[in-house]
Amino acid sequence: MIEAAQADPARFLELYDRHVDRVYAYVSRRAGSRAPAEDITSAVFEQALTKLPTFEWRGVPFAAWLFRIAANALADHWRREERNSHEPPPDVPDEREQYDLEQRVSLFRLVDRLPETQRQVIQMRFVEDRSIRDVAAALDRSEGAVKQLQLRALENLRKGMGHHG
Amino acid sequence: MADERLTDRLDRIINALVAGGDATAALRDAEAAPLARVAADLRHYPRREFTTQLRAQLEGRARMATALAARNIRAGFTTVTPYVWVPDRGLADFLVRVFDAVETSVADNPGHGTHRELRIGSSMLMIGETGELAARAPMRPVAFHVFVEDADAVFARALAAGGTSLGEPADRSYGERSGYIRDQYGDHWYIATSLGPSAVPEALRTVTPFLHAQNVGEYIGFLQRAFGAVEEARHEIPGGAVPYARVRIGDAAVEMGGPADPMPGAYFLYVADVDVVYEQAIAAGAKSLSPPAVRPSGDRIAFVEDPVGNHWYIARS
Repeated sequence: MIEAAQADPARFLELYDRHVDRVYAYVSRRAGSRAPAEDITSAVFEQALTKLPTFEWRGVPFAAWLFRIAANALADHWRREERNSHEPPPDVPDEREQYDLEQRVSLFRLVDRLPETQRQVIQMRFVEDRSIRDVAAALDRSEGAVKQLQLRALENLRKGMGHHG
Repeated sequence: MADERLTDRLDRIINALVAGGDATAALRDAEAAPLARVAADLRHYPRREFTTQLRAQLEGRARMATALAARNIRAGFTTVTPYVWVPDRGLADFLVRVFDAVETSVADNPGHGTHRELRIGSSMLMIGETGELAARAPMRPVAFHVFVEDADAVFARALAAGGTSLGEPADRSYGERSGYIRDQYGDHWYIATSLGPSAVPEALRTVTPFLHAQNVGEYIGFLQRAFGAVEEARHEIPGGAVPYARVRIGDAAVEMGGPADPMPGAYFLYVADVDVVYEQAIAAGAKSLSPPAVRPSGDRIAFVEDPVGNHWYIARS
């Protein structure tokens, strides 16, 4: 797939689909908040597309190559923010963290497959940071019903993760 | 608390989590703890509007990269090659004396002046000598950043060859020792030796075009939309001025800075699909000078002028 993308940049999107959650999970853990996590993730894939012709297979997994770009992008971000300016880039994930990241990637995909209303509740609560009252108004449900949906969604996700891991 | 329903206990835990607060108490709640762990991970769930939008952006970039990816670029050339218009061969002589340039090709085109190609280190430069047409084709002086082994020695040679100093060689805060020269045609030569591990920085070749723009941020936006440029560096100072930025177009680096009076020049842009890149450039705000057509040289070329006056010869060789 990587060789195909090197020959035809349009194939790069397949690599993006496969790795975007993984990179985001890695960056999000270190970026502090959502806005920089998104900026840095964008920068990682922009750079990956640019540098793809220089990627050499030599046994290095593609994800590890992306994590290296991400580590440097995080360091650049911190430099711009003028903090940790003398610190080296963060580490690429070790085995333990890679396992955690894979767990998260599985979780994110389970969220995408939740029944629509449950997915909306997760989206509004965790991504948009909205209160139960807000979510209830947006979905035209009672607060109790939203709390119930929230519980159901988390139980479904936990069950799904159980099967995964 | 034991009487409190699980839905309410879980909701309080989530409120604490999304507020960035301490939710460790949840771990003592045997029933809620496994759900709280899932909830903690969900704080990192990516916004799907974001991942979808980024995908669309990358799709545009990838399409552009395909159009730009000239596979049969002439040996030694990169995606962007400066084309300097001067009245006579004085510039070629200057480049040979100062930078040890090597002339690789010359062609007299009756009625169109002389076309000359020179190699300077790892870079190529094209020169159009207008000769008797000079009156109809005004000079377009441009600026270049040139990396050499010994900036002081080359600067001295440039003075001896008729250049005028715009700034004596000095160690610059941006990691190079450089002196600035204006040649007899008004071109600027920023002659530099990197203070880093090698004389030429890794990201650059010997000669890099240095574009001037009033508003560098806007101009980079144009280059991104028109030619799929990728921003590699930007130094912004308070007030929004950008004295230095670097983008990559295809496999070529282009530097720029401003606000500065534009020095509109001309650049060959070797691409795989002239028509796609031409249309993209027009959509991004370039002015058409001549739509894609097969030229007497046998190459399919389109000519456009960008918002700061640079001419781009979009060519497939």
